[in-house]
Amino acid sequence: MDVLAHLASGFAAALTPTNLAMAFMGSLLGTLVGVLPGLGPTAAIAILFPFTTILTPVPAIIMLAGIYYGAMYGGSTTAILLNIPGEVASVPTCLDGYPMAQQGRGGVALGISAIGSFVAGTVGVIALTFFAPLLADQALRFGPPEYFGLMVLAFTVVVSLSGASLAKGMSMAMLGYLVSLVGMGPSTAEPRFTFGYDRLMGGIDLIALVVGLFAISEVFLGLEEARTAIAARITSVLPRWADLRQAWPAILRGTGIGFLLGLLPGCSPGVTVFLAYDVEKKLARDPERFGRGAIEGVASPESANNATSSAGFIPLLALGIPASAPLAILLGGLMVYGLQPGPLLFAKNPEFVWTVIASLYIGNVILLILNLPLVGIWVRLTRVPFGILGPVILLMSFVGAYSVRNSMFDVAVSLVCGLAGYVLRKGQWPLAPLLLAYILGPLLETNLLESLSMSGGSPLIFVQRWLSLSLILAAVALLLTSLVLVRYANRRLRETAAAEMSL
Amino acid sequence: MTDVESSRRQSMVVGGVLELLAAVSLVEARRLYRLRTDFVAGAVVGDDTFPMIVGVALAVLGLYMLAWARLPALEVALPRGPIRARMLAGAGLLVAYAVLVPVLGYTAATAVASVALFGAMGGYRWPVALLLGAVTTGALYLLFRVWLLQPLPSGLLGA
Repeated sequence: MDVLAHLASGFAAALTPTNLAMAFMGSLLGTLVGVLPGLGPTAAIAILFPFTTILTPVPAIIMLAGIYYGAMYGGSTTAILLNIPGEVASVPTCLDGYPMAQQGRGGVALGISAIGSFVAGTVGVIALTFFAPLLADQALRFGPPEYFGLMVLAFTVVVSLSGASLAKGMSMAMLGYLVSLVGMGPSTAEPRFTFGYDRLMGGIDLIALVVGLFAISEVFLGLEEARTAIAARITSVLPRWADLRQAWPAILRGTGIGFLLGLLPGCSPGVTVFLAYDVEKKLARDPERFGRGAIEGVASPESANNATSSAGFIPLLALGIPASAPLAILLGGLMVYGLQPGPLLFAKNPEFVWTVIASLYIGNVILLILNLPLVGIWVRLTRVPFGILGPVILLMSFVGAYSVRNSMFDVAVSLVCGLAGYVLRKGQWPLAPLLLAYILGPLLETNLLESLSMSGGSPLIFVQRWLSLSLILAAVALLLTSLVLVRYANRRLRETAAAEMSL
Repeated sequence: MTDVESSRRQSMVVGGVLELLAAVSLVEARRLYRLRTDFVAGAVVGDDTFPMIVGVALAVLGLYMLAWARLPALEVALPRGPIRARMLAGAGLLVAYAVLVPVLGYTAATAVASVALFGAMGGYRWPVALLLGAVTTGALYLLFRVWLLQPLPSGLLGA
């Protein structure tokens, strides 16, 4: 009952004109950037994130969440119409979505994708509503050693974000930790890794890093790829009754798989979509239809994708663990606004949390209402030439990097990160572990230092307290589970000839 | 070069870079450790602890890369011809834009950079690039200066 009362107050706040407008604008902008060829949710959030910094925390996070959802949907549009998955989570959608588009059924594929995303997203948010507070109720039992255990648990996510090579993922994570150390030390405020250069004392700015790694590098990679839209016109996005009847079980199964696995902090949508697709294919009476435009082949992974993305908000808000790169940026966003996701967030900032949760319900409805009638516009947007898109993204990235601290130094950092991002992505070095470690690094360090100070320097403190020991054991279990799931997802990626993408 | 050779060479290069980063981290940790022991009485941990852990982890990872790792063989196709020229032009123009903004101010520098980017990187003929640049600059001006009221550099020209 308490939860429902909190949710009601959240809705009251989320339905204020400003917050409603931000949810609408976030969904619209997210979809708009997400449908641009090759720009996945991570790049979309990276490009749009700086523009939310002029807002107060609640509308800013509502807008960011809308951008995230919108960009996820936008990624499906390019996967179906152009055979370009913005991120690995959209790869299975290409397998049947693009053949459907070639057969003149692109509208139906987009419609089913929107409906599946809506169902899965809503189920995920309902679970978030009731499940996350239970996790957060443990807040009072958390001291520095438990938080350290939580950060170790979060580190297991690196495995699922590592792509084809765990060694590469670990290297990138260590690089991320190293970058997070630049600036002032947490104990004595002594400058570290600044090498006498004062500008570095404020550290490397998150937005400059994200804009460079994910947005600027994307433009240069995009220049190399020929991206052409299908010529077919989209007439109707409303699926026929027969389509819905065929897709409905797949939507429910995809939602179930995506949601349940999404609860594991180390499981990203890149894993669950393949699992959902394979389950559907195995259950089908005529599996040979898959890969040739089977509607279940779109419905199931799309639902799984959104269910995992929504379920990802549970470990994000309740534990402070992001399951994917876009959620890592959202986590960074919360920190920029002075909020610390984790068990105490629900106790310290209940108004904020419940307003954001309510806005997720609203965002899902907005997306459904927005996407079905506006699909014609999204389709036209996929035809914007990269010669126009590239310069515009670069110019916007420039302002984005500058605007947070009004610093040309941050612009320079974003340019360097853009170059580094391009080189690393060409060499298939996964960037998400770097980002995750960069964001979690300061938290890990603070809790480690506080724990060791409490114990007089003895690391045994982490195994002497049952909750911190449980978290560390859970991390080991998740690590092993993630290794199995990632091996499976990588094998499927190779089979779909999309090995150049990483999880 | 065979796949095995290419994989080994990649692992060796990466291992070397990781060892270098480990050395930087450990040297910095040592400097911070001295500061802590000299100036902070009784502290068992400090600003040096995490750099030391990261340094050791990097060193172990680097060693693994140098000695055992077989990174997946990879054939990186570098861009050639006109695409490479467009990429280099884009990168060069971005750097020039960063230099120009404090001098010319945001709006004037954006006008120059956008036309150049559409022409040199986007591959449009100059009259079209001029038109696209004007539209983009106008839109960005309305978005950032008028609507979002972003404080952006005014430069020597105050634009």
